Amino acid sequence: MTHDHNPLSRRCPRLGGPVGFKYCMSGEGEHPCAKVVDCWWETFDIVQYLRDNLSADQFDRVLNARPRPKVASLVELIAQARKRQDV
Amino acid sequence: MERRKILLSEDEIPRQWYNVLADIKMNPPLGPDGQPISPDMLAPVFPMNIIEQEVSQQRWIDIPEEVLNIYAIWRPTPLIRATGLEKALGTPARIYYKYEGTSPPGSHKPNTAVPQAYYNKVFGIKRLTTETGAGQWGSALAFACSQFGLECKVYMVRISFDQKPYRKTMMQTWGASCIPSPSTETQAGRDILAKFPDTPGSLGIAISEAVEAAVSDTSGNTRYALGSVLNHVMLHQTIIGLEARKQLEKIGEYPDAIIGCAGGGSNFAGLAFPFVLDKFNGKKVDIHPVEPAACPSLTQGPFAYDHGDTAGYTPLMAMHSLGHTFVPPPMHAGGLRYHGMAPTVSQLVVEGLLDPKAYGQMATFEAGLLAARTEGIIPAPETNHALAAVVDLARQAREEGKAKVILFNWSGHGLIDLGSYEKYLSGQIKDFDFPAQDIEDAKKILAEYPKPQIIRSR
Repeated sequence: MTHDHNPLSRRCPRLGGPVGFKYCMSGEGEHPCAKVVDCWWETFDIVQYLRDNLSADQFDRVLNARPRPKVASLVELIAQARKRQDV
Repeated sequence: MERRKILLSEDEIPRQWYNVLADIKMNPPLGPDGQPISPDMLAPVFPMNIIEQEVSQQRWIDIPEEVLNIYAIWRPTPLIRATGLEKALGTPARIYYKYEGTSPPGSHKPNTAVPQAYYNKVFGIKRLTTETGAGQWGSALAFACSQFGLECKVYMVRISFDQKPYRKTMMQTWGASCIPSPSTETQAGRDILAKFPDTPGSLGIAISEAVEAAVSDTSGNTRYALGSVLNHVMLHQTIIGLEARKQLEKIGEYPDAIIGCAGGGSNFAGLAFPFVLDKFNGKKVDIHPVEPAACPSLTQGPFAYDHGDTAGYTPLMAMHSLGHTFVPPPMHAGGLRYHGMAPTVSQLVVEGLLDPKAYGQMATFEAGLLAARTEGIIPAPETNHALAAVVDLARQAREEGKAKVILFNWSGHGLIDLGSYEKYLSGQIKDFDFPAQDIEDAKKILAEYPKPQIIRSR
């Protein structure tokens, strides 16, 4: 993965504070933030950057990602938390 | 001296919240099996008294005396005539704003944090958990918990924890435990740290930790609190509009237009829903939720059941959205960008009771600076979206020679979010218009998915 954009920074609309581009690419651990395209298109060709640096699956995941409805998301998080406690 | 503020005494504070669910019919959130999600499925994270509010159809819900006592620290908030802004715009319109930045944490968030803390307290809960990004919601809940003697644990995304010491200090000052997420206190945090020891964290991880902390407390003494989107949050925020309506009555005014920024929906709903009730009852008033022009989920997006993720296996919910297989073109959006609007706000748009507006970043910051330089208060960046619509309507009133009454929600101050102003002032923010063709493409994609029955409440 190329890192030439890592020094860039901007305000993250989700967090409400400044983040570097590197954070947007790795903040979720294994995956770039779903909003990375929304946030960086003005600064450089983020779509091409993602095509060049992500697998096809990763690229699709980022470009098609959608947050879950909140109630449904909570129910899912409860189930996940219970599962972790059972392990 | 010209009168700028319209004040209510503490005795005049509204004694009930308005529940819009009594007046609209909603499509229920559905699970992956296509069945509605039942309220008791939320019991591990919310106390039953809050779950009851989440699904209540009762139009008016009493505000407990204990909540009113805490509200009285900063409520009723002032309704202020924006005479400076009016003069700068040369408009005959009379512009009023409800200023929510007077709360201890500086935003509208405590309007729901306080009752949530209260209801947990009376349910016997000892400790609340939540997640926070830069700390606006976390500090509101920390404040609320301090008022009711509850423990409060805030999982603050690591990168913000390191970068935003003032919000963290606010929370700690109010007695909350604010720890960086991921942490070693939850299995979710430990799992992430094992794989990515140096991770700066994310909201997704922080939410997982906060929920796990509530669910895994076998004593049953811990629950979780959320500051946006859900019905009970909208309910609590209606104190804003109910106060504003009383204040306008005092001076014999009624708004022609009501404006609020529409992120997750709570500050917009808080001001607007009581006036939506008036509209149900025959009043003529234009109500405008405002969002970034580059984010057409509310202003232009179709209303449909939209899968919540790419695999399409998560529950479905009626929401304004662009569809889960929609590939967005590159676009810029600011702090208001949420994919999911509060379902109640979406429903009111569908029913034609709200008239959404959208503005580009340049217009919002231009309006924000104009307001700061005329009214003196530096607005929170999300408030700037409302201000852009206010400026637009005020100029329209000037052109039409109409002395319209405009009411908007000044949801908070921007003193802890000056970074975005710095970017605007240094010329780093640009506008982008969402291509109409892409909206059409999104509609075609959504045509494949199950559609909700479009319910009309009237």
